[in-house]
Amino acid sequence: MKLFQCIKQNKYIKRTIHIIFLLATVAVIDLALGNLLENFYFKQKSGWLYRTTYALNETTADLVIIGSSRANHHYHPDVLSKSLNLTYYNAGRDGSYIFYHYAVIRSILKRYKPKVIIFDFIKTGFKPSQESYDRTAYLLPYYRSHPELRDIIETKSPFEKVKLLSRIYPYNSMLVTIAAGHPALHSTRDGDNEGFIPLLDKWNEPLVSYKASPCYDFDKEEVRIYESILTDCIKSGTRIYVVVSPYFHKLATPDCSVIEARKIAAQYNVPFLDFGDSEYFRNSPQLFYDSYHLNENGAREFSALLVEAIKKEESKTYASQSNLDQ
Amino acid sequence: MAFTSFNFLIFFPLVLVLYWLTPVKYRYITLLFASYFFYVNVKPVLALVLFSVSAAAWGFALLMSGTRNERKRRTYFIVNIIIVLLPLVLFKYFSAINNALLKYLTEIGLNWPLPEMRYILPIGISFYTFMALGYAIDVYNDELKAERNPGIIGLFISFFPLILSGPIERAGNMLPQFRKAQSPDFALIATGLQLILWGYFMKLVVADRIGIYVTSVYNHVEHHNGTSLLFASMLYPFQLYADLGGYSLIAIGCSSILGYRIIPNFNRPFFAPTMAEFWRRWHMSLITWLTDYVYTPLSFALRKYKVWGIVCALLLTFLLSGIWHGATLTFLMWGLMQGLFLSAEALLNQRKTLAEKKYSLEKKRWYLIAGIIFTFLMFSSSMVFSRAATFHDALLVYHKIFTEHGPLFVGSPSTMIYLGCGLILLIIKDFLDEFYPHRIKLFNNDNSIVRTMSYSAIIIIILLIGVFDSSQFIYFQF
Amino acid sequence: MQEREIVEKLEASFRKVFNMNTLEIMREMTANDIDKWDSLTHMLLISEIEDTFEIRFKLKELNRMKNIGDMIDLISEKMQ
Repeated sequence: MKLFQCIKQNKYIKRTIHIIFLLATVAVIDLALGNLLENFYFKQKSGWLYRTTYALNETTADLVIIGSSRANHHYHPDVLSKSLNLTYYNAGRDGSYIFYHYAVIRSILKRYKPKVIIFDFIKTGFKPSQESYDRTAYLLPYYRSHPELRDIIETKSPFEKVKLLSRIYPYNSMLVTIAAGHPALHSTRDGDNEGFIPLLDKWNEPLVSYKASPCYDFDKEEVRIYESILTDCIKSGTRIYVVVSPYFHKLATPDCSVIEARKIAAQYNVPFLDFGDSEYFRNSPQLFYDSYHLNENGAREFSALLVEAIKKEESKTYASQSNLDQ
Repeated sequence: MAFTSFNFLIFFPLVLVLYWLTPVKYRYITLLFASYFFYVNVKPVLALVLFSVSAAAWGFALLMSGTRNERKRRTYFIVNIIIVLLPLVLFKYFSAINNALLKYLTEIGLNWPLPEMRYILPIGISFYTFMALGYAIDVYNDELKAERNPGIIGLFISFFPLILSGPIERAGNMLPQFRKAQSPDFALIATGLQLILWGYFMKLVVADRIGIYVTSVYNHVEHHNGTSLLFASMLYPFQLYADLGGYSLIAIGCSSILGYRIIPNFNRPFFAPTMAEFWRRWHMSLITWLTDYVYTPLSFALRKYKVWGIVCALLLTFLLSGIWHGATLTFLMWGLMQGLFLSAEALLNQRKTLAEKKYSLEKKRWYLIAGIIFTFLMFSSSMVFSRAATFHDALLVYHKIFTEHGPLFVGSPSTMIYLGCGLILLIIKDFLDEFYPHRIKLFNNDNSIVRTMSYSAIIIIILLIGVFDSSQFIYFQF
Repeated sequence: MQEREIVEKLEASFRKVFNMNTLEIMREMTANDIDKWDSLTHMLLISEIEDTFEIRFKLKELNRMKNIGDMIDLISEKMQ
């Protein structure tokens, strides 16, 4: 009893207890809510979050499309799957950058060996930007379950490991998306076609022409990741294609990230198919949804052209292999 | 290093420990080193500018107080002002003046190749320059004795909680505190932590979230309709309040933990029923600085012109405020509008008072509410100029608001929901503090369990919906 | 001039500038005590006082005035 009185009267001990109590309360709520969010996150059956989980954990498609929103909206499954006779999954995600793309590839290759991976490369892909690091946040929910992704996730900032002590942190700003994706509400969401999302409007603004601009310094980390994408695929025996899909704009000088990416692809004998400055698409605004994305018709036409290009590449390889045999 | 960077969460506790371990006599030195370390983390060479301004302020103050010759004193004073202002003018306004000059010369056919200056603006220079100026003016006016210790002056000007975004403090308030270096005080620490917590809430949950929406609209003024532009323009004042207000609370809170009392910067400005009252509640440290050092001398010099002298002083003071905020036409316009609103109020004051007396309006609740709404509309309309990228964009915004209506741009539903939650929470708290103070006590409740749950709730909310990085940016596809 | 006379004239100036016919001033009062007395009307008051008493203030002197009492003392000083 005397000890209790002593504690009650001593200001320092009292305040220390208060602080400990506060930290403990926060930790408990954080753990409980974090677990709840994690639970519901992985119960999703549709939407972006679900498609990321599906790409990382479940897909076993022969043909996988990797990239950003351009990957997600440009590569039509009806055309690609049928013409190439491969099962298809589109793992493109809006607003994602090369760190995310590499993580998807790594997770996939850890689980199985796809026959073909198409990597949609964007212009200015190697331009330094804080956003490309910040959007690695998409991978935070997978930190605990995917040790092979941890070093990629930790590129986001030097303190990610500390921040991840909070169980809520990986689900920051996802509360509404997770709630809206609850299986009970899942039927209200638009479906996707094997991960592919068609865009349905037509673009009617005039073509924008950009002046010649000097080249910028590349983000060395992003270049390194790009190389790792190529080498990892080659090592696992997966056929990888790097593709630049069409844009609705005109550049005075070709983008230097594209030039660099092509150079590196050539070093590894990886086919680099560049439709980024295609004049046909530049003259066809009706095939675009906005200046940066094809609509569904555009996706169909582009995918058909891509199939031709891929088949040509394949016969070249086959021919050179037959030459070797002889 | 910003308050919202993780680095700061490590830096501050470390500084705190070092500070308390230092013997009282030398504590200001610890803080001085910490402040320069904090500042150098931005760009080392800019610390030289900070140092030069501090050295000039210290040196000339001593020179001024070392002589009774009025002419000499005035000379020292003028040189002091020029040296202290020079970096600010050079860095902030040189490139603007240079570009304007270049444009003019090109237009009249003289293609004179002026060098294109691209300087990096030293962070905080607007703030610390004003603090140094205030010190110089106070010493010249014999309001303050010159400080002999250069370290104390150096600390006053570079004090890390205040250097980035204020509040703009006065030497008269800070120098005695720095000399005394009070020992840790539980009450001040507790208050400080509360302020910091709420400051982070305001900045991360409210300001940055609103900012995402406002940016996605204002970045594409040509493509959004008047309805969306109106909505974004009405949200923007809240963003600013939560941003600068939140940041100020963090600054004041950190200072409080160290044992220093800092003047407040915001006092629930949106409950002001007139513009005059608004400016007594918004960015108070800047306004009182401008009032004491610019407006009062000006209105004194012009007092024989009665109310027109006041109008002139108001316009000039707020024009200066606009320039202080930014070296562009839009900020000048913003400042001018503030001056005009206040002048209009001053000119109509007599008639307003008569009407209020006649219909005893001051007691009527609807009159108060109408005043609050009207003041808010005046302020947010002027903010269009400060937010728009160019003068032309600002005019386009006004034009569209009145002519082009349509469906409201939502962008990302979750952004709107988080925005709404945060803003409502902020408004409720301010409303209670303004009209029913001490009714509902959460942070200050006597019961420690209620306090703990309140703190926890805010921390959890920050973790859930605070904006931590740019991954929340909405792409507007048009 | 006697202090009482000064106070009377001063009160009249206050009433005129602030449009408050029943205002009574006291030595301890400051701008906080009178609703209409703020930075926007302060110089109007000062100018009126200068005209009424035919004196001129210096800015430094104004900054030192903490309340109406100081004001009365300053006026009486200047009238000598």
